[in-house]
Amino acid sequence: MTATATPETPATPAPAPRHTGRFARLLDAAAPRSTVLMIVGGVLTLVGGYLPWATFVLNEGPYPEKATLNFFVDPFGVTGFRLHLVILGLAAIVVAALRRIPARHRIVRGLGIGATVVALINGLWITVEGGGLGAITASEGSIAFGSIAALLGGLVTVLGASAGGLERKPVWTWKLPWWAEWILLVVLFVIVLLLVAAVLTSGGQGGVVNPYAGVVFLSLLAALGGAFAALNASGLLTWVSVVSERHRTFSVIVLLIVALLLPLTSAGTEYWMTVASNIGVYAATAIGLNIVVGLAGLLDLGYVAFLGIGAFVAANLSGAAASHIGIHLPFVLVMIISSVVAGMFGAIVGSPTLRVRGDYLAIVTLAFGEIFVRSAQNNIGGLTGGANAIPNIPAMGVGDFKFSDSIVIGSLRLPSGVLYYFLIVLLVAAVMLVFAHLKYSRLGRAWIAIREDEDAASAMGIRTGPIKILAFLIGAMLAGLAGAFFAHKTAVVAYDSFRFLESVTLLAAVILGGMGTIPGAVLGASILFVLPEKLREFSDYRLLLFGLALVLIMRFRPQGIVPDRHRKAELTDPDVEDVAKEGPGPLPTRVEP
Amino acid sequence: MHAVEETPRLSTFLSQIANGLVLGSLIALIALGYTMVYGIITLINFAHGEIFMVGAYGGLATLTYILPTAIATTWYFALPIALVAGALVAMLIAVAMERFAYRPLRNAPRLAPLITALGVSVALQEAMRVFYPGATAALPFPNLFIEGAVVIPIGDGVVIRYVGILLVVMSLVLAFGLERFVERTRLGRAMRATSQDRDVARLMGIDPDRVIVLTFAIGGALAGVAGVLYGSYLNNINIDMGFQNGIFAFTAAVLGGIGNIRGAVVGGLVIGLVKALAGQYLPGGTAYDYVWIFVVLIAVLVFRPQGFFGESERVRA
Repeated sequence: MTATATPETPATPAPAPRHTGRFARLLDAAAPRSTVLMIVGGVLTLVGGYLPWATFVLNEGPYPEKATLNFFVDPFGVTGFRLHLVILGLAAIVVAALRRIPARHRIVRGLGIGATVVALINGLWITVEGGGLGAITASEGSIAFGSIAALLGGLVTVLGASAGGLERKPVWTWKLPWWAEWILLVVLFVIVLLLVAAVLTSGGQGGVVNPYAGVVFLSLLAALGGAFAALNASGLLTWVSVVSERHRTFSVIVLLIVALLLPLTSAGTEYWMTVASNIGVYAATAIGLNIVVGLAGLLDLGYVAFLGIGAFVAANLSGAAASHIGIHLPFVLVMIISSVVAGMFGAIVGSPTLRVRGDYLAIVTLAFGEIFVRSAQNNIGGLTGGANAIPNIPAMGVGDFKFSDSIVIGSLRLPSGVLYYFLIVLLVAAVMLVFAHLKYSRLGRAWIAIREDEDAASAMGIRTGPIKILAFLIGAMLAGLAGAFFAHKTAVVAYDSFRFLESVTLLAAVILGGMGTIPGAVLGASILFVLPEKLREFSDYRLLLFGLALVLIMRFRPQGIVPDRHRKAELTDPDVEDVAKEGPGPLPTRVEP
Repeated sequence: MHAVEETPRLSTFLSQIANGLVLGSLIALIALGYTMVYGIITLINFAHGEIFMVGAYGGLATLTYILPTAIATTWYFALPIALVAGALVAMLIAVAMERFAYRPLRNAPRLAPLITALGVSVALQEAMRVFYPGATAALPFPNLFIEGAVVIPIGDGVVIRYVGILLVVMSLVLAFGLERFVERTRLGRAMRATSQDRDVARLMGIDPDRVIVLTFAIGGALAGVAGVLYGSYLNNINIDMGFQNGIFAFTAAVLGGIGNIRGAVVGGLVIGLVKALAGQYLPGGTAYDYVWIFVVLIAVLVFRPQGFFGESERVRA
C-alpha cells in the first residue's frame, strides 16, 4: 500500500495570514489563537448537544429525540439532531487538535458551518413552536442553553477556522490494489444508499400528522452538508471520485445495483417508492432538459410540455376509459410512440432556433409551453380530458401481471410500486447513458461549441441549425419517455401537472444541480421534488421560498452544486474569464446598420 | 331579414373593437416598463407583470385599510389617491427589486438575470398570496370612476363604459408624457445615452446606476397605475393577473420594437384587438384567445424580431 500525500501547501504554518473583507479585523485578532478557538467551538457544540433545548413540552407533543425537558428523564440519550451536533463537535475537536492533518482549517470550517446551521434550524423551530423567545428563557427551573451553546459553538468554530487561514485542498495520490479499491467502492456506495434512505425517510411523512417532518429533514440535510463540506475540504471526496473514475464501469454497475436495493432499506414502503419514482421521472426529464440548456445553451421555458405530451399520448394509447382512441397497445410500444411524438413536437418547438436566439428564444419556448397548457385545459380534440383529466390509466403489465403489484419472494415482501421503482431506475440509468455518450460525442462537442459562441461554431463548419433542432428533439424524446412512465405510474394525467411553474422548477433543478452535468441534474431534481414532500407544514410558503431560493442561487452560486468541470475551468482561469461570460460583457453590443 | 342580421353583427364587431382598445391601452401601459428596462439593460424583466399586480393590490389596500369610507367612495378623491398609492407601491417594489436582485448580477452571464427575474416573479406572486388578507381568491375592486357608459346607437348598441374611456385616455396621455420626457429632458437624454452605450455614457458624466434605477421606477409607477385602472375596469383582481398580462405586455413590446415607446403603445393596442377579435371570431372562442396571442408572439419573434418600429436588429448572445 503506497500512501503518498502531497498537500500543495507546506506543512509548516504560514506566517499570520492577512485578512481582507468585512471581518478582517476580527479575523486578524483571532488568528494567533485559531486552534484554541476551533477546539473551544467544538467543545461548545458538543456541550450544546447535551444541554436541554427547551423548558417546555411543545404544542404537538415533545420535539423528536429528547429536545425538551425529557432531557432530565434520559440525560445521556443522544439521538436525532443532538447526535449530529455531538458528531460534528467531536470531529471538529479532533481535527483541530491534530496539526498534521492538511487543510484542517478548511475541514473544521465545514464542520462548524454544519453545526451552526443545525443549531439555527432546530433552535428557531423550537422557539417558534414554543411560542416565541419568551418561552425559551421562561421558568420551570432550567433555561434552554442547548441551542444557544451549540449556535455559539458553531460560530466560534467557523471563526477560528477562518482566522487560521484556509489552506488549499490537498491532493491525495494513494493507489490501492484493485480488489481493495473495489471493496472500498462497494462499501462507500452502500453507505451512500443508507444515507439516501435515511434522508428520504427522516422525519417520516410530512403533513398534519407529523408537523416535525420538515425540520428534522432540514436539520439532517444541514448536518450531512457540513460533513460533506469537511470531507470535500480534506480532499478525500476528490480522491474517491478519482478512484471511481479509475474503475468506471465497475462503479456504474455497483451504483445501479445499489440503487435497485433501495426497497430493502427503511425506505421500502409504498409511500417512499412512489416518492422515489416521482423523483426518477423528474430526474429523467431534467437530464433531457440538461441537453437543451446545459449542453446546447438554449434556454427552454416550456419544457414540461414534452413531459405532458408523452403522458397524454401514453394515456390515450393505453385503453383508459376516458380516451377517445380506445386502443390498448403494449406498454413498450406506448413508451416508444410517446417518445417519438414528443420528439416531433420538440423539433417543431426547436425550429424557431434557426432565426431566434437568446432571450427571445426563451420567450418562444414559453409561448409554446403556454399554448400546450391552454390547449390541454380546453381538451383539444378530446385528447386531454380538459379539467376532468384522463383518469384510470391502466397499470403497465404483461398479461395478468401488473407493475403495480407487490412482490413476495420467500419471506421477503416488497411493497407495491416497487416494480415501477425498478423500471424508473433503469430508465434514468438509460437516460444517463444517452446523455453521457452524447456529451462526449461529436454532436455533444458541437452543442457545447454552439453554447460558447454560435458564430464561431458555425465558422468552424458546424451546421448550427440542424444541430440545435436535434438538441430539442432528443431532449423532448427523453421527456416524452418519462411522461409515458408518469402516466402509467400515477394513473391520472391532468393538464395541471404541466404548468409554467413546473417548467421553472425543472429549470431550477438543472441550474441548482449544475448545468451540463449528470449528477447535477439528478441531485437538483431530487432536492426540488423531495423538499415539497417534506415541507408540507410550510406548504403555504413553499413557492415563496422557492422563488427567493432561485434569486439567491443565481446571486451566490450560479454554477450549481456540481459544477461542470469544463465550465469551471473557464470560469476560474483569468485568461479566458471574459470569453467565458456568455454575454458580451458589460457593454450591450450592437451591429450598426 | 338580411339587414337585421347585419347590424347586430356590426355592433358586436364594434363592441369587440372597443374592448380590444381598452385592454390594449392597458397592456400598452405595462409594455412601457418592459420596453424601457429591456432597452437599457437588455433584460426581460419577467417580474414586471407582478409589479403591475402589486400596484393593483397597493391601490386596493389604500382604499380598504387607509382611506375613510367617505373619501374612498367619492370618486374624485379616491381615484387620484388610489392611482398615486398604486404607483408608489409598485415603484418601491420595482426599485427594491432592481437594487437587490438585478444589480448584483449586472455583469453575470445572460442566463442568470433571466432566472433571477423568474424567481422574483414567483416570490412576489406568492408573497402577495400569503401575506395579503384574502388574496387566495380574487378580490373585488371598486369602480373608481363615474358609473355608466356611452352607448353608440348601432344595431344592438355599442356600450363603452366611462372607466374604459378613462383607461384609454390615461394610457395615451402617460405614454405621450413619457415620450416627451425621454426626448426632451436631460434625464431622458441620459437614459437614451445609457441604453446606447453604458460606458460612453459614464464617460459623459452620467451615473448609469442612477439611470437604471430611474428606469425601473418609471416603469414600476406606470405598471402601478395600470394595476389600479385594471381593477377599476374589471372590478376584481387576483394574484395571477400579473403573469398573464405581463406576457401580453412583453408580446406588445416586442411587436412594437423593443426599446421603442411609440412601438409599445401600438403593440399593446394590436394585442388587445387580437385578443378581443380572436375570442369573438376565431375557432375555439374565448377559451383560445390566449393561444392566439402566443401564436402572434411566436410569429413576430421568428419573422420580424425587430418589431414594427425597430430600426436595427441587435446581436443577441
